[in-house]
Amino acid sequence: MTQRIKPQGEALRLVSVRKVYGTEDNPVTALANVSLSLSAGTFTAVMGPSGSGKSTLLQCAAGLDRPTEGRVYVDGTEMTGGSEAELTKFRRKRIGFVFQQFNLLPTLTVLQNVLLPLKLAGRRANPDAAVDILRRVGLGDRLGHRPAELSGGQQQRVAIARALVTSPKLIFGDEPTGALDTRSAREVLTLLQETVRFYGRTVVLVTHDPVAASYADSVLFLADGHLVGHLADPTAEAVAERLTRLGDEVAARRAMSGV
Amino acid sequence: MLSLALRSLRHRATAFVASFLAMLLGAVMIMSFASMLDTAGGTGVSDANVETLVTMASVVGGWSLILVLFAVTSTLSLAVRQRATEMALLKSIGATPAQLRRMILGETAVLAVAAVALAVLPGMLGGRALLALLIDTEQVAPDVTHVFGPAALSMGCGITFVAAVGSAVLTARRTTGLRVTESLMDATAEPRRMSRKRLVGGIVFLLLAADLAVVTATVMHGEGSDAMQTAGQTSIWASIGFALLGPVLVRRVAGLPAAPLERFGGAAGHLTVQNVRQRAHQMAGALMPIILFTGIATGTLYMQDVDSAAIAAEGLLKNDEQKSIETLNFVVIGMVVLFAAIMLINTLVATTTYRRGEFGRQRLTGATPGQVLAMVTLESAVLTVTGVLFGAVASLFTILPFTFARTDTVLPDSGPGTFLAIVAVAAVLTMAASLATAVRALRIPAIEAAAV
Ligand SMILES: Nc1ncnc2c1ncn2[C@@H]1O[C@H](COP(=O)(O)OP(=O)(O)O)[C@@H](O)[C@H]1O
Ligand SMILES: [Mg+2]
Repeated sequence: MTQRIKPQGEALRLVSVRKVYGTEDNPVTALANVSLSLSAGTFTAVMGPSGSGKSTLLQCAAGLDRPTEGRVYVDGTEMTGGSEAELTKFRRKRIGFVFQQFNLLPTLTVLQNVLLPLKLAGRRANPDAAVDILRRVGLGDRLGHRPAELSGGQQQRVAIARALVTSPKLIFGDEPTGALDTRSAREVLTLLQETVRFYGRTVVLVTHDPVAASYADSVLFLADGHLVGHLADPTAEAVAERLTRLGDEVAARRAMSGV
Repeated sequence: MLSLALRSLRHRATAFVASFLAMLLGAVMIMSFASMLDTAGGTGVSDANVETLVTMASVVGGWSLILVLFAVTSTLSLAVRQRATEMALLKSIGATPAQLRRMILGETAVLAVAAVALAVLPGMLGGRALLALLIDTEQVAPDVTHVFGPAALSMGCGITFVAAVGSAVLTARRTTGLRVTESLMDATAEPRRMSRKRLVGGIVFLLLAADLAVVTATVMHGEGSDAMQTAGQTSIWASIGFALLGPVLVRRVAGLPAAPLERFGGAAGHLTVQNVRQRAHQMAGALMPIILFTGIATGTLYMQDVDSAAIAAEGLLKNDEQKSIETLNFVVIGMVVLFAAIMLINTLVATTTYRRGEFGRQRLTGATPGQVLAMVTLESAVLTVTGVLFGAVASLFTILPFTFARTDTVLPDSGPGTFLAIVAVAAVLTMAASLATAVRALRIPAIEAAAV
C-alpha cells in the first residue's frame, strides 16, 4: 500500500450543464448552467441543502441521465450517445458507483457481485484480482456470503469493491454513508480516501453530512441548481458553518423572489 | 374490515384483474353448461337427449370447480403476496390475523359477486351456442329449446362462490399465519427448502396417476372408448403432481444446463444460472401453469386422436355417446388452455414486474437493456423447456396406457404435430408475457427502478 500512483490531467469536466425536469408548462430547473473541472486523483465532496440538485449533478456527470443542455467529459472523452446501451458501455469502462442503498444483487455471493461488472463488460473476470480487492476492503473471509448475511457497512464495502474492480478513473458516491452507523461510515469514507491517495482514482462524493465532506480534499456547494461556493481542505466545522449560511441565503432569496 | 377491503380493491385493481378474470370465465362456463340441465328439464325432451345434456353439464361443472379453485388460488396468492409489505405494516400497527383474513375474504367475495353478476348474460349466450353445437352435430334433437333457469344460476353462483371463497381461505391462512417480522422478511426472502406438505402432495398425486395408469392398462383393457373414464384424468393428476414438485424440478432439472450457460451464455447466462438456483420457488410459480397446460392438453388431445383412429379402424362411425365425449374433451381442453394461459400470463407479469428493482440494480452495475432482456429470454427458455418436459411426461400417463387399452400397442400412430403446436403455444405465451413486461420495466430509469 505504499506505492502511490501519480495521476495526471482532468478526470471530469462539465460545460454549461443544465437539467430541466417536468413538463413545458411546469419546468423544474434542477441544474442551471453548471460548469466545473476536477483533476485526476482528487477527492471532491458536493454539498447543498435538500433539493439543491446534488443527485441530479451526479447522475448527469455519471451518464445515468442525460443533461438537457451542455457537455460532459470523462477522462478527456466526451460522453455522447443517445441510447441507454451506449451510455452504459461508456460508463462501465470509466465510472464506478456507490449508492446509499448499496444496490447489490441478492442472488449473487459477495465475490459474484464484485465480478459482475467485468462479466457484463465481457472482460475476463479474474477472481484473483477481485479477491484481492475484497481483502483490501476487509472482506476476504466473506467471499461466499450473500448480501443478506452482511451488515450494512459490510454491504457498502462490497459495493466499493464492485466499483473498484473495473479500475475506473472516476468513482461517484451518492450519500454512500447515509444508511450507515457512525463507525461503518468512517470505515467507508476512509476506504474512499485510500482509493484516491494510493490508487490515484478520482472520487466525487455527494453528501449532506459535514463530517463525511471533511474527508474530501475540497467541497463544492450547490444551491438551487447553481454552484455557489468552494472550500479547500475542509474541516467539519467550516463545512457546517458554510452550509448554515447557505441555507439562510437560499431562504432569503426565495422569500425575496416570492417563491 | 369490509370498507378496508373495498378501498384496497380500488387501489390495487390491477393486482386483482387476473383473479377476477378467472372467476368471470369460470362463472360464464359453468352457467353455459349448467343451463343444459335447465334445457333437459324442458318439456318433450327425449330420454337419450336428457342423458347427453346432463352428462355435459355435470362433467364440465366438476371441471370448472377444480379449474376455478386452482386459478383463483394461484392468482389470488400472488396478488396477496405482492402486498406482503402492506400486510406486514397492517399487522405491525395492530391488525390481528383474523382481521386480515376477513379483509382478504371480503375482497374476494366482492370480486366473486361482481364476476357472477357480469357472467349471466355471456353465460346465457354461451349456453345457447353450446346447444346449437350439440344440435348441429346431431347429438340432440333439433326441436329442443334452450332454457336458462335456476340450475344455471344456482350452479354458476354457487360453484364460483365456493371456489373463490375456498381459495381466499387457503391464501389468507398462508399469508396471515406468519409473524410480523417473518412477513416483513417474506416480502424479500425466498424459502430455502420446499415445504414437506408440498412434497408429500406432489408424490401422492403422482402415485394416484400411476395407479390410474395401471388400472387403464389392465382393468379397462378392451373396454373401447370407456377406457377414457380413467385415462382422461390421469394426465391431470400427474401434471398437478409435477407442478407441486416445481421448486425441486426447477433446481434440479433447470440446473442441468448450468455449466454450458455459465461457460457460453455470457453475463446473461451467469445471471440466469444464479436466478434458477436462488429463485426456485418464484420460478416454480410460473412452471406450474406450463406443466398443467402441456400435460393436460397433450394427454387429452392424443387420447382423443387414438380413440377416433381406433373407431375408424374398426370401420365404424362414432355413436352419439362417443361424439359427445369428443365434444366434451375439446371443451375441457379449451377451458384448461384458457385458465392455464391466464395463470401463466398473470404469474409471469407479476413476477417480472416485481423484479424491476433487480433489473435496475443490474443496469447500475453495467448491464445494458439488451443484456437484461437476454437474461429474461434465457430464463423463459429454461422455464419453457422444463415445463414442457414434465408436461410431456405427465401426458404419457394418459397416452401410453390408453393406447395399450384401446389398440394393444403402446405408442400411438399420431404424429408429433399436435405436441409441437402445444409446445409452441407454451413457448410463445411464456416469452411474450415475460419480455413484454421486462421491456416495460426497462423504460423506468435505472436509478428509479433500483429504488423500488
Ligand atoms: N425525476 C425528477 N422529476 C422531476 N423533478 C425532479 C426529478 N428528480 C429531481 N427533481 C427535482 O430537481 C431538484 C433537484 O433534485 P435532486 O438533484 O434530487 O436534489 P438533492 O439530491 O440535492 O436533494 C428538486 O427540486 C427535485 O424536486
Ligand atoms: Mg439526493
